[in-house]
Amino acid sequence: MKKEFTPRITSFLCKWCSYTGADLAGTARLQYPTSIIPIQVMCSSRVDPVFLIKAFLNGSDGVLIGGCHPGDCHYETGNYHARRRFAIVRSVFESLGLESERLKLSWISASEGPKFARVANEYTEEIMKLGENPTRKSIFL
Amino acid sequence: MTDSERKGAVLPAAKEPGDAVLDFLRLAITKKLADAVILPMKVPSGDSYAWILMNDISLLDDAVPIAATMPVQGAKALRSLTRKGPGNLTVIAVMRPCEIRAAIELSKLGQVHPDNLILATYDCPGAVQLQKYVDDPAGSEKRFAEMLQKGKPDNSAKPVCHICEDFSLFDSDLHFGYLGLPDKEMLVIAGSDKGLELLEELGLASAEDLSVWEKGIDQLKADRIKARKSAFKETEAQLRGFDGLLSVFANCIGCHNCQSACPICYCRLCYFDSETAEQNPDALITAASKRGGISLPVDRIMFHTGRMVHMSLSCVSCGQCSDACPVSIPVAGAFSYVADQTQRTFEYTAGRNDGDPLPLRQFRKSELPGVHELVKDADAEVSSHE
Repeated sequence: MKKEFTPRITSFLCKWCSYTGADLAGTARLQYPTSIIPIQVMCSSRVDPVFLIKAFLNGSDGVLIGGCHPGDCHYETGNYHARRRFAIVRSVFESLGLESERLKLSWISASEGPKFARVANEYTEEIMKLGENPTRKSIFL
Repeated sequence: MTDSERKGAVLPAAKEPGDAVLDFLRLAITKKLADAVILPMKVPSGDSYAWILMNDISLLDDAVPIAATMPVQGAKALRSLTRKGPGNLTVIAVMRPCEIRAAIELSKLGQVHPDNLILATYDCPGAVQLQKYVDDPAGSEKRFAEMLQKGKPDNSAKPVCHICEDFSLFDSDLHFGYLGLPDKEMLVIAGSDKGLELLEELGLASAEDLSVWEKGIDQLKADRIKARKSAFKETEAQLRGFDGLLSVFANCIGCHNCQSACPICYCRLCYFDSETAEQNPDALITAASKRGGISLPVDRIMFHTGRMVHMSLSCVSCGQCSDACPVSIPVAGAFSYVADQTQRTFEYTAGRNDGDPLPLRQFRKSELPGVHELVKDADAEVSSHE
């Protein structure tokens, strides 16, 4: 029997919104796939572009950044900066012909447990369609 | 300064373009309008050049303002001089346009303080690759003299020189123009108020007709724009996908020379040289057992892609990285291509003196559509779920 592909999605979630949103999804007993591997960061702008690249090259099938909605950042403007940084990585991925769909930025507030579950479900489905990250099997890194 | 505001003057005839530049600098120092100059000079062994900060006018006799090759990026020389503040000497620096562009980027990064600097450029035909120059200095000088005559890079020039659109006046204070002009003629053109002031004080601010020079430059530029397009297409195909990335960068020996030669990479400790970037041995064994094997030391691809996201927004395509690579990876070609794309994302051009802050130092509340929320109409759906 062929082993079913379970994606691994490294998720950087901001402490104030998205991580709390994920918590809410848990306490509300909403179902979302185990593919999401959450890492709490103090702000989405804490995510250095190199974090995304490192996760990608080390075999994450998807990388998710979750931050507060624009205007709602706990540090006022962190998520705007995060969006710019994310855009650079996306742009580098696109120019190198790497699958930029494996990178995702989403705004999830602390009260949006259902949205977190839905993003997790939909993104996992999207990644399932894309299949395994080609870097997972590479000997050369 | 717009094109129509540009003012220039014809310099007295000299044997070579370089000599005309030297005569101009001598005049500026004698008239006490500058305290010192920064120029390349041959090293004692004669097979390379070094930047010399000189205030002794007699040293100018040995200086070569338009040098055949560029061993150290000029912006690095300017940074070492002004990184702690503008200083109290007025210094004229004559450098290639890409070096001045890098200096402008470094000034935005707080590493160069240009207040007391007068940045001067010249029509750059290209620079001979450093390795080729060191191997055959005399032959390279000859080839460079030909390049200077034609205004076009030849095979010995860096590959990025062939695709450089900004080889002439580009936001410097002063510019020496000679391409497209009859032999032994040289213009000095002010690119900023600072430059104009200097020309006025030297009595050189007459508004000459610049159209012949401008036409000559435009003609040369057209060739390079064409070359740029086709080179980018080639690089795109070569880099395509993870396999493409490996095909270009897998023979990297991890010396990080490209990073230390890069004018933009000024960080004293690069993340990629730090302890944090070192992999845990246990993680390597796990990775090897999952993949069947792993190349050591790891993270060479991460180093290059990481550098692309860290510095490509300020990349001026000077090609120093390729010159520094001991295994001849076309680093500069790849970075130039990627930088073109990332800078386009933010409608930013590295090295311009137009007051545009670095893209990462600013943001707009509403921008970059399509970057986040790939889930269609996410918020509308949320309300239907709840």
